[in-house]
Amino acid sequence: MQSQEEIYQKVSATLVEALNVEEEEIKPTATLQGDLGAESIDFLDIVFRLEREFGIKIPRNELFPESIFQGDPEFVLNGKVTQKGLDELRQKMPFADLAKFEQNPDLTAISDLFTVDMITKYIETKLATKV
Amino acid sequence: MRLKDQVAIVTGGSRGIGRGIVKAFAAEGAKVAFIYKGSQAAADSLVAEVAQAGGIAKAHQCDVAKHDDALKVVEAVEAEWGSVQILVNNAGVIRDGLFVAMKEDEWNVVIQTNLGGTFNFCHALAMKLARQRKGRIINISSVAATHTNPGQTNYASSKGAINSFTRALAVELAGRGVTVNAIAPGFIETDMSENVRNKAGDLIKKMIPLKRLGQPDDIARAAVFLASADAAYITGQVLTVDGGLSLGAVAV
Repeated sequence: MQSQEEIYQKVSATLVEALNVEEEEIKPTATLQGDLGAESIDFLDIVFRLEREFGIKIPRNELFPESIFQGDPEFVLNGKVTQKGLDELRQKMPFADLAKFEQNPDLTAISDLFTVDMITKYIETKLATKV
Repeated sequence: MRLKDQVAIVTGGSRGIGRGIVKAFAAEGAKVAFIYKGSQAAADSLVAEVAQAGGIAKAHQCDVAKHDDALKVVEAVEAEWGSVQILVNNAGVIRDGLFVAMKEDEWNVVIQTNLGGTFNFCHALAMKLARQRKGRIINISSVAATHTNPGQTNYASSKGAINSFTRALAVELAGRGVTVNAIAPGFIETDMSENVRNKAGDLIKKMIPLKRLGQPDDIARAAVFLASADAAYITGQVLTVDGGLSLGAVAV
């Protein structure tokens, strides 16, 4: 079983490669889009690299769900994610830290949930359930 | 040499425009893996011709319409020469005929070869080019995409789609330093245009402001430019190389 630190180190190395960033830029709280400049194709690349690095299969939309709410008014109202939407998020991304987002659940801030720490936690969960 | 030590894949490389591109790329220092489907004699003669001129080219037999074939060719090229930097999707066929009489197969083979082949090779290479943060994709379109004659619904559709595909893929890959452009040739003297030229060659010449049919070299030079460092800031464009034909001058 790999320790959290080992997983974090491997995730960091993967992101350095995939995003062409310096190691110093990688911090647990760094957001993939805002801090590390990831674009849509980068998310795919990260998924491919993580699959190879950790020998796991990452189903599409599991780690980086695309357009989570698809304009559903039950989930998003006036640009804010509703309580029901937050419940949905929690269910779809149990590995994401929603504490800060919940204080101001602006839909545009949803990409800030994708952090280095989130990926590390996701991988931890995947490895723990790996058969 | 503008493409020194780069590895290029050119589909439909043994004859016509593709052959011109293979020779031009090799003359500029690239190692060129070209794809041919059935013309083995032409492929062999091209390898020899390039070698004689001091260049490096290798022929790979493959049906570009088959996704798995494209993957295998890319793997074979990488195994021999390392990573690929340039892809030219040139393989194309015509099955001209009036739409009402067009057979389903005549539609399918044109779409699957021209558009499908472009998809297959881009699909096999795009992520690799993106990862190396360097790459050039050049799709060979046609003025027929925008200026059509009767009998080319299939061909015009495939080329119009290639133009759209070029722009759409350019947007996706730009962040990774990969450019995607197209060249739209006009009437070029190749086997493919022979029938039309025989029927209407003189008329066509009159319609071309530069007063001559194009040669494969005319397209090859444009391809070298788009593959070279000179074109680093150009992406998602369709470069028309047709002697002015598509300008639509009535009396020239």
